[in-house]
Amino acid sequence: MNHAQQIRKMTLLANLLAIAIVLNIIETAIPVIPVPGAKLGFANIVTLIILYIYSFRDSLTISVLRVVLVAILTGKLLGPVFYMGLAGAVLAVLFMGLFKKTDYFGVLGISVIGSIFHSIGQILAGIFVIGSVAVLAYLPIMLFLSVPAGVLTGVIAKRFLSLWQSWDKQTAT
Amino acid sequence: MQASDKTQNKRDLLLVVLLFIILGSAFLVFRMVAFTADASRAHIYYGIASEPIVTIDFIKGDIITHYRQPVPEGYENIYPLIDEDAQTITLLGDFAVGGTRQLVIIRYDFIRRSVQVIEEQSPNNICSREGESTGWPLICLPNRVRIEFESTDEDFIV
Repeated sequence: MNHAQQIRKMTLLANLLAIAIVLNIIETAIPVIPVPGAKLGFANIVTLIILYIYSFRDSLTISVLRVVLVAILTGKLLGPVFYMGLAGAVLAVLFMGLFKKTDYFGVLGISVIGSIFHSIGQILAGIFVIGSVAVLAYLPIMLFLSVPAGVLTGVIAKRFLSLWQSWDKQTAT
Repeated sequence: MQASDKTQNKRDLLLVVLLFIILGSAFLVFRMVAFTADASRAHIYYGIASEPIVTIDFIKGDIITHYRQPVPEGYENIYPLIDEDAQTITLLGDFAVGGTRQLVIIRYDFIRRSVQVIEEQSPNNICSREGESTGWPLICLPNRVRIEFESTDEDFIV
């Protein structure tokens, strides 16, 4: 990677991080899911894009940064919702990275897998935050809702990536 | 990557359809089967404590306070606050607005054997919008308050 490419990567990652933060904050304002404190993970669009353009490591870094920065911006650092978001984001990146390596599924499939593990991560953290497995009562509805959410994020990410590829080819030469 | 795009798309579609059907039916079955037994008691928990802070006994028509909620300095009242006339139990939630922790008000009904969170502050107020419950656990995660039901006969244990 030459100098120009490094600068481009840095600015792109910074922009994507900003987009992810905005998506994350917008999402907290839309009450779409009947589960307290949980999110559907539309910021996963950015995670997914970085995973495809750059690497697993960059994707993980940006995701963790996003969760921490959103928590600071909304004043909820180290609160119950913060831990749920963090667990969800980390688990989603881990499994998306893992399944992407196998090369079995495309962007859409990876997105749905990420969305499902995002829900699982949040529920698992919820168990620890509240100290009761009663949170598991919300798992079925969360898992079901993560499928359409994953499809939505997947479709958006896929569209971005195809545009990116043609743009990347033009600028590389 | 270009060559396997089509097969990947097919697999993606298959995955989505399968997951949609499996998780959708699992959710429907769960909603129908779980938490349908009549509750004899309801326990209100705060934080990660395994001991309930308040127990509502529907059969005896009794409210039992197990311990006082540990409240930081600056909050005058003693929690849980039980109002037998209004049939409410008030706890101090974890969710803070402008640095002040907000109240969680729970209403119980001995005859209907139900519990409802009537007032609470959280981003989407999901736990108060959940309505009256006779078995389904009410969990207010941002406030770290939860209500679980107990039934004497065989029940779905989660």
